[in-house]
Amino acid sequence: MRITLYVPGDTWLHRLDPMTKLLMTAVGVALTFAFVSAAGGAALLLAFLVVLGTGGVLHRAAPIFIGVAVIAFTFIIVQGLVHPENVQPLFRTGPLVFYEEGLLVGLRLALRLYDILSATLIVVLATNPSDLTEAFVRRGASPRLGYVVMAVLQMIPTMISQTAAITDAQRSRGMETEGSLWTRLRAFLPLMGPLVTSSLIATEERALALEVRGFGSHTRPTFLKEESRPPYAGAVRVASVLLLAAGIAGRVWLGW
Amino acid sequence: MSVQRKTNPWALQFTTLTIVLIPVAVGINYVGKLIAAALKLPLWLDSIGTVLAAMLAGPWIGAISGAANNVIFGLTADPISFWYLITSIAIGFVVGYLAFTGWISTFGRAIGLGVVVGVVASVVSTPINVILWEGQTGNVWGDALYAALVGSGWPVWIASFFDSLVVDIPDKLATVIVSYLIVRALPERLAGLFGGDRGEVETL
Repeated sequence: MRITLYVPGDTWLHRLDPMTKLLMTAVGVALTFAFVSAAGGAALLLAFLVVLGTGGVLHRAAPIFIGVAVIAFTFIIVQGLVHPENVQPLFRTGPLVFYEEGLLVGLRLALRLYDILSATLIVVLATNPSDLTEAFVRRGASPRLGYVVMAVLQMIPTMISQTAAITDAQRSRGMETEGSLWTRLRAFLPLMGPLVTSSLIATEERALALEVRGFGSHTRPTFLKEESRPPYAGAVRVASVLLLAAGIAGRVWLGW
Repeated sequence: MSVQRKTNPWALQFTTLTIVLIPVAVGINYVGKLIAAALKLPLWLDSIGTVLAAMLAGPWIGAISGAANNVIFGLTADPISFWYLITSIAIGFVVGYLAFTGWISTFGRAIGLGVVVGVVASVVSTPINVILWEGQTGNVWGDALYAALVGSGWPVWIASFFDSLVVDIPDKLATVIVSYLIVRALPERLAGLFGGDRGEVETL
């Protein structure tokens, strides 16, 4: 069972080293805040979509984009109705009046949401989480951080199947999982309790197993895999920084 | 094993056991959210693991569990959750500190703790929401209140705080009560493993 958003692949984006992709994401987020106009936000979104598309991960981004559409829509409605700078009524439906200024603010917020999301997805969709954590550990982060991230990714599928077993067991003993809100609320505890208890018991065993394998050691570990960086990574880094500079210059002098 | 009581919750040590507790806490958060969704509850209940880790092992492990939770949730489900990292860290600190100073010694106090956690979560989230989304949270009920308040002339900051508060108070209250009931029901041996003993600090 796969629980991460990572899409395995062999595109230019996948071959880039994690730190370069992280830089691209950081530049993308910074540019999102640098651009105040709706046109700037839309142009940025287009650029992100090109990166995600040529990286072969756009199909995985689509469901996430659809998932946040409700939030984006709420931004436009609420700001269109009540933004403090609303002056110019644009149209009305029943008792509700939508204002031009607010709708524009809402549109910019919606674009910002999608810009931040797409920028983050550059690193999230095209980088294996284990490579990402390894890149941090290589640069001096505690190897325990690596353990925590990788352990969670392995543990969650196990815990989910455990939950299914607990649900079946409690149902067979007569627990109601449907009905009034109170009935459903009461079902939460008998589902959660056994899961927590068994997870904590497993914790002790796991800690022992890790300690006999030198988990408590303070020697820096060596790495099984070499970090590979494609020759164009440097160019991508320089381009990212140049884009950021161009974006800030455009914002200051041209009001993008 | 002799039991020596410590009075300073910040002095808790990092052991292999407490580090192993962190991924477990994140897993519990994840599953809590899944169960809440499966039971169609109008709450997220996605920080039970963070709260439990803080109750069992103190503020540091609670805060680290909170941070790890949002990073991993960002990688696995919702990239926007990276932005709310600070909120989760704050929840871990507050629960960890207050739990070790007696706030989970009775059910009544646990309710108080739940309200405090809800308020803290809102206070920390509000600046993030104002900077990112003009104060909206994206939650339909909260945003309806936000629209009503801003529409009648309230400042965006205050409206944003209440937007967050109406969602966070019931959610964090339920989270803390569930965690409290679970910690109370844990066998003595398990609850004491991580340094804490249901509200009283001790080390082995």
